[in-house]
Amino acid sequence: MDGAESRISPVGFDREYSRRNFLKTAAMAGAAAAAAGAGGLALGARPAWAVHEGYQAVGDVGIFQLAYKLELLEGTFYDIGAASGLFAGNDLAQIAAIRDHEFAHADAIASTLSAAGAEVPATPEFIFPDDATADAATFLGYAATFEPVGIGAYQGAAPALVDKNLLAAAISIHNAECQHRCAINILQGVVPPNNIAFEEALPLDAVLAAVAPFGVTA
Amino acid sequence: MEKHTINLPSVEEFARPRTRSNFLKALAAAAVGTVAGTALLSGRAEAQTYGGASGGGDIDIANFALTLEYLEAEFYGIALDSGVLAEPALSYIAATYDHENQHVNALIELITGAGGTPVAKPEFTFPEGAFSSQASILELAGTFEPVGVGAYLGAAPMISDPAVLAAAGSIAGVEGEHVVAINNLNGVVPPANTAFPAALTQDEVLAAVAPFLGMGSMMETGGSKPAPGVGSEKAY
Repeated sequence: MDGAESRISPVGFDREYSRRNFLKTAAMAGAAAAAAGAGGLALGARPAWAVHEGYQAVGDVGIFQLAYKLELLEGTFYDIGAASGLFAGNDLAQIAAIRDHEFAHADAIASTLSAAGAEVPATPEFIFPDDATADAATFLGYAATFEPVGIGAYQGAAPALVDKNLLAAAISIHNAECQHRCAINILQGVVPPNNIAFEEALPLDAVLAAVAPFGVTA
Repeated sequence: MEKHTINLPSVEEFARPRTRSNFLKALAAAAVGTVAGTALLSGRAEAQTYGGASGGGDIDIANFALTLEYLEAEFYGIALDSGVLAEPALSYIAATYDHENQHVNALIELITGAGGTPVAKPEFTFPEGAFSSQASILELAGTFEPVGVGAYLGAAPMISDPAVLAAAGSIAGVEGEHVVAINNLNGVVPPANTAFPAALTQDEVLAAVAPFLGMGSMMETGGSKPAPGVGSEKAY
């Protein structure tokens, strides 16, 4: 966990934290995604990419400030995974690469915020479930619930971004997160790992609800 | 929005390549447009135009994307019919084929809903030997997919309608997943290896896909007639 500690404030593992509650929250985000129209146009329901309210009110800076915290959360999580000893060889290479991507995203977002004269948020004190590194399958299970939240956040926020340069950055980072989703599927042995035709956007409320248990607030 | 024509960059240079390596070279050239790290925040997006010489419009951009999705769908369809794919590649490619077709349908619906006319599927040309082995299919797929991602990422900042932008982002992400899936089949370690997937300019995308459009097939963008002097009558 050296990488995390050198970079992030101490990671708090809340012993009282119930895994059941964690999964319930993740499932809530999943339900929101389903309500947003999983399955795409064919169902005639709200499409997966529906434009969500909520992000406009936060504004470009607010969106990027939240994104910064989400990237640090993800980066820290993968750093714990990379240092856990649960992964080796090609699998470890993938976990470490994803960690590096998340921290690169955080760095890019921080410089963007600074350049805009906006505040770079303090690093939250993250909370992870007790059993996050119980075994590889459990870790990957959490990763598989993480990634769609990041994807849904960027995708939900993108249409609300006013600055086109920020949009270009957000949409590229969104794409990396989608690539991570597929990579986690590969690590989990899901065949085929590319198993959705449309990525799902999430409303801001659902994103905040999903990350609140990890110590991230708006 | 009377001009719907895409400004083709000297398409004759790319048309009718003699060998498969010419195709791959054209695709590789597109990859040169790679944007790394914070450089992507530097305003490259504003220098681009997508969807036509006149500056485009959402319908033109969506039609451009539709052409790319048609190309991908046809490629994967032929690959599935080739009989040379074995599991797990077969499952991967079947899913990818299904996704591209769903993207085609979604874009048609989007364009029609916005009052536009979806382009017809062009006739595509694939390099000789492209479907002769699983390896050659995967090699071409591995060069295709980042171009698809780059096209959506490059076009996104030019899109006005939030609903069209949201759709483009959703589809772009799936193309990104295809990149990783194909990487995995190609033995690339790790398969997800890019922190900032690259945006491509429209010219870079056109240069990459021109070989697949062949001679006599133009990139239609839904307009009635090509505007003079934008390249179409020159080659034909």
